[in-house]
Amino acid sequence: MIKIKGTADSMMRCIISEGMPAEELPAALGDIRLRGQRILRGAEVILDFGARKLDERLVSRILTDFVWPSEVRVVAWITYDAESQDNMKRAGFSTSEPVPATARAKLPGTAPSLVLERSLRSGQRVEHSGDVIIDGHVNDGAEVLSTGNITVLGRLNGLVHAGCEGDEGTIVIARSMEALQVRIGGRIGSLERGAQWWGKMVTVRVDDGSVLIDYWPALK
Amino acid sequence: MDSHVIVVTSGKGGVGKTTTTANLAAALARMGKKVVAIDGDVGLRNLDVIMGLENRIVYTLIDAIDGACRLRQALIKDKRLENLFMIPTAQSKTKDSVSAEQMVAVCDELRADFDYIIVDSPAGIEAGFKNAAAGVDEALVVTTPEVSAVRDADRIIGLLESMEKSPIRLIVNRIRPHMMEKGDMLGVADVLDILAIDLIGMVPEDESVVKSANAGEPLTISSDSPAARAFKNIAARLVGDNIPFMPVDSTSGNGNLFGRLKRVFGL
Repeated sequence: MIKIKGTADSMMRCIISEGMPAEELPAALGDIRLRGQRILRGAEVILDFGARKLDERLVSRILTDFVWPSEVRVVAWITYDAESQDNMKRAGFSTSEPVPATARAKLPGTAPSLVLERSLRSGQRVEHSGDVIIDGHVNDGAEVLSTGNITVLGRLNGLVHAGCEGDEGTIVIARSMEALQVRIGGRIGSLERGAQWWGKMVTVRVDDGSVLIDYWPALK
Repeated sequence: MDSHVIVVTSGKGGVGKTTTTANLAAALARMGKKVVAIDGDVGLRNLDVIMGLENRIVYTLIDAIDGACRLRQALIKDKRLENLFMIPTAQSKTKDSVSAEQMVAVCDELRADFDYIIVDSPAGIEAGFKNAAAGVDEALVVTTPEVSAVRDADRIIGLLESMEKSPIRLIVNRIRPHMMEKGDMLGVADVLDILAIDLIGMVPEDESVVKSANAGEPLTISSDSPAARAFKNIAARLVGDNIPFMPVDSTSGNGNLFGRLKRVFGL
C-alpha cells in the first residue's frame, strides 16, 4: 500500500509500505500518478521506503514510471537500509529528511524531531538533522546519527551518535542501556558489558570534555 | 501443487544451517511429504555429505542451470526414504556461476512436483545468500544463543524482511540448558526479545548430531536423540501441527520463557 500525506511545509510524503512486493511497486506508483495527475505536477515529494532495500532496478523503475512522467520533484529518498543509503548518496540523491522553511528560520539547519515507531535491526541506519526519538529498540549493529539529541525508548544495543556534526551540548537518553559505546559530538564514551549502568535507564552527556553516564532519574 | 519454498539461512557460518536443512527434509519426507533439499552453497558443498548421498552425484544444480542436463537429472533420490530428494551443487564453481533469476526459475520448476523445497543458504549476506533466497517464499533463520550469531541473524532478518519473505521463523540451535541456567549463555527468551520474530524450534546441543553428520545419515531418519526429536517437532510445526515446546531453559535472563512463548504463540 502507498499512503500520501501532506507535510507542514506543503510537501507530500509518499509512504511505501515495506510489505508491498517490489514488483507491484512501480504499478502502484503509476496508479497514484494517474489519479493524482493535477496535484502531483511540480509538487515536492518525499519518498519514504522504510527499511526497504533500494536496488538499481527498483530505483530506475520509480524514476521512469513515476518521478519523470508525473513531473514531481523528489526532495528525499528515505530508507533505513544502510547499504541503500550509501548507494543513493554516492549517486547524488538526498537521503535525509528535508528541513522545512519554518524550522530553518528558528534553528538554522535543523529539521523537526524524527520519531521512528519501529526497532532498528543490525545493518539499518537512521541519519537526521535534528533530534531523534526511537520508539523501539536499537539492535546491535544498527546506527543512529543525529545532529541533535537521541532518545531510545527501548533497548539500546547499537551505536548512537548525538550531535554528530560536533554539538557536544546534546544528550543521549536510553531506557535500557546495553551499548558498549556512545558518541556525542567528537567524544566517544565506552562502557563495559555488565557495568553498573547495564540494562538501566540512563542519560549520557559530555561534561568538561568527558562523556558522563548517569542513572535516570539521578540518584540523590 | 501448493508447495512451500523455504530458505534455511543464518548470516553467521557454522551455526547449523546444513544440518537443519538435512534433518528437516528427512523429517518432512517421513511424514509423507514430497521434499527436495537444494544445496545453495555453490563451491563449498556439504549437504550431500550430511545426507549421505555424495557417491550418487552425477549432475549438479550448476549443470542443470548451464543446460548440461535437465533439472530432473540433477535430482538424487534418497534410497532410505521414499519422498526425499536432493539437488547437489558444484564444488568446483563459485557463487558467480548462478544468478538470482536462475534460482527463481529452478524453484519455480520444482514447485510442480514437490510439497517442500528447502534451500540451504551459504553463510554471509552477499550474492550467495541473495541467490539462495531469491526463489523462496519463506525463511527459517538458524542462530545459536551467542551474541555474534544473534547479531548476524538480526542483519539477515532485516534483509529477508526487505525481500518480502514471509513468514520468517527462528530456530535456536545448540542450546545448553545448564549454561543457560548459570547465565553463561543467552536464554531463548533473550534471543527472541532481540530478534522479535516467531520461534519455530529449539534444538539442544547433542553429540549425536556430529556422529550423524559424519555417518551421512540425518538424525530424523532413524534416531530418537533429543536433537532428532527437536527437528521432528520443527517439521511438524512446519506442516501446521500445534506441538508444544520442549522445556529447555526455565531460568533465562529476561523472565519466564513459557510466559513469553504463550504470548508469541497463543498456546
